[in-house]
Amino acid sequence: MPKVIAIHSYRGGTGKSNFTANLATSVALQGHRVGVVDTDLPSPGIHILFGLEPEQTRQTLNHYLWGETPIEETIHDVSAQVGVEGAGKLLLVPSSVKADDIARILKHGYDVKLMNDGFRALVKAHQLDYLFIDTHPGLSKETFLSIAISHILILILRPDKQDYQGTAVTIDVARQLNVRKMLLAINKVYSSLNLEALKQKVEETYSETVAGVFPLAEEVVQLASEGVFCAKYPDHEVSQKFCNLAQQLIEG
Amino acid sequence: MSEMGDLQSLASSIRAVASPLRNYLTDLHHKYQGLNEGAVADYIPELALAQPEWFGICVVTQEGQVFEVGNCDQLFTIQSISKAFVFGLALEDHGRDYVNCKVSVEPTGDAFNSIILDETTNRPYNPMVNAGAIATTDLIQGKNGTERLKRVLEMFQRYTGRAHDINVPVFMSEKATGYRNRAMSYLMLNFGMVSEKIDETLDLYFQQCSIMVNARDLAMLSATLANGGINPVTKERALDERYVQDVVSVMLTCGMYDASGEWAYRVGMPAKSGVGGGITAVVPGQLGIGTFSPLLDAKGNSIRGIKVCEDLATDFGLHLFNAATPKHNLQEWISGSGDDDW
Repeated sequence: MPKVIAIHSYRGGTGKSNFTANLATSVALQGHRVGVVDTDLPSPGIHILFGLEPEQTRQTLNHYLWGETPIEETIHDVSAQVGVEGAGKLLLVPSSVKADDIARILKHGYDVKLMNDGFRALVKAHQLDYLFIDTHPGLSKETFLSIAISHILILILRPDKQDYQGTAVTIDVARQLNVRKMLLAINKVYSSLNLEALKQKVEETYSETVAGVFPLAEEVVQLASEGVFCAKYPDHEVSQKFCNLAQQLIEG
Repeated sequence: MSEMGDLQSLASSIRAVASPLRNYLTDLHHKYQGLNEGAVADYIPELALAQPEWFGICVVTQEGQVFEVGNCDQLFTIQSISKAFVFGLALEDHGRDYVNCKVSVEPTGDAFNSIILDETTNRPYNPMVNAGAIATTDLIQGKNGTERLKRVLEMFQRYTGRAHDINVPVFMSEKATGYRNRAMSYLMLNFGMVSEKIDETLDLYFQQCSIMVNARDLAMLSATLANGGINPVTKERALDERYVQDVVSVMLTCGMYDASGEWAYRVGMPAKSGVGGGITAVVPGQLGIGTFSPLLDAKGNSIRGIKVCEDLATDFGLHLFNAATPKHNLQEWISGSGDDDW
């Protein structure tokens, strides 16, 4: 059965889009059909990582939500950009980066039901094994929806007091929404910290599983979103961690 | 509302959007959207303006969860569906014995607009045919037409949780062309079955048929009956609990015009339809269904609406007398714990 994985963080800047791109790529590299939807309509960005230039984007999630196109036609195949070959596929539904389009969504909103129906149509039409949803930080109707429909919710936090508090709020909401499975991922951790102790402390605080602790690697910063890190540096420690997490999702 | 209450209510509405039951309804909508048989009612020009593609499905549970797909905000006139609820108000105004002596509850195989009364008692056959509905409308209390209309509108607001308007062009057309209903009223006056304020009562009858509703309202109407007369969202009582069984049983035997027997057998949900394209169906103790699609069959029932109710009854075992294990467990599909077909 296809799995829907929502990736969310309460605050911005946690590295959510980078995290989503790397995890989705890791899963696709193992031969699975993977979809990624950028539901961060106010501040889209994940398309950059997959090397999709604005002039290459045809239809976007915005056009689907306005009823202008079926969701199947908003798909952009980015498999080649991240070296996914064979049975694996990486398909991206980007959001529009045009200021007018963003303003239109902010001004008029959209029917959140359409988002749900679109996700289902997408999974069916492209026979996806995994659908990753990259969300807008904070809490909004669409993040509520992404959480409610996901089979697995991954919450990203940094070792930072603001993130800690916001994550507690998000976990409350996720439980209220009867989320099926929740995993925490700690990102951008300074290497001077004791990773294992941090993991334990966070697990005790929230009574939820920490699925991975990701160090702040200089190479990731240097790449500066010019590609998906684990596709460029597959042997790096960080890429290995994404591989492990991908394995957990596939087996879990 | 407290902060927690708001979180719970938002979470509940989002869970409804994401629930397997709504996904099921989405598939049903898709399945029957292409069904273009039947015709839009055109006996008055305003009804003929309805778009054949309009199609909305809404389910409201006894716990107040709302699942909706398609054109659930599109307004249309309630038409005959009002008859069931005005019957309830007449019961509250006068009690069962008095209402029963003015209107029978016997199904008739004749069309809804037939001029026919019970030969021994002179009563119209039931409150769902036009003659019976005019007789029950006559019973609505109030010192003048305005106050009586206000009482009817307030009753609908208790059921649906929102204020309703009258579609004035529809009302005026019905009033201008309602010769048959006028003739029937005088026939009943002749037998002493209605009072002499015929013009006022007929106005109220045409007005109640011209009330604007949407598919969600229809689901709220039936969910309120399913919930013993209390609106499951606002928790307001809309109908005295003693009369819920009266309204619902007459819906079962007479609610679908002269297709009621076939409906009771095949679908088995007490329901009422209107030529505006609406159907409201009650699953007692569980939920209410509201459908809207203006394409009607020869008997005046919405074709897509019938299909939707039939599928729901079959797949979830909602027929009143179903004893077999259904294909899907309704509670699991509502809560999301059931298998959904991603």
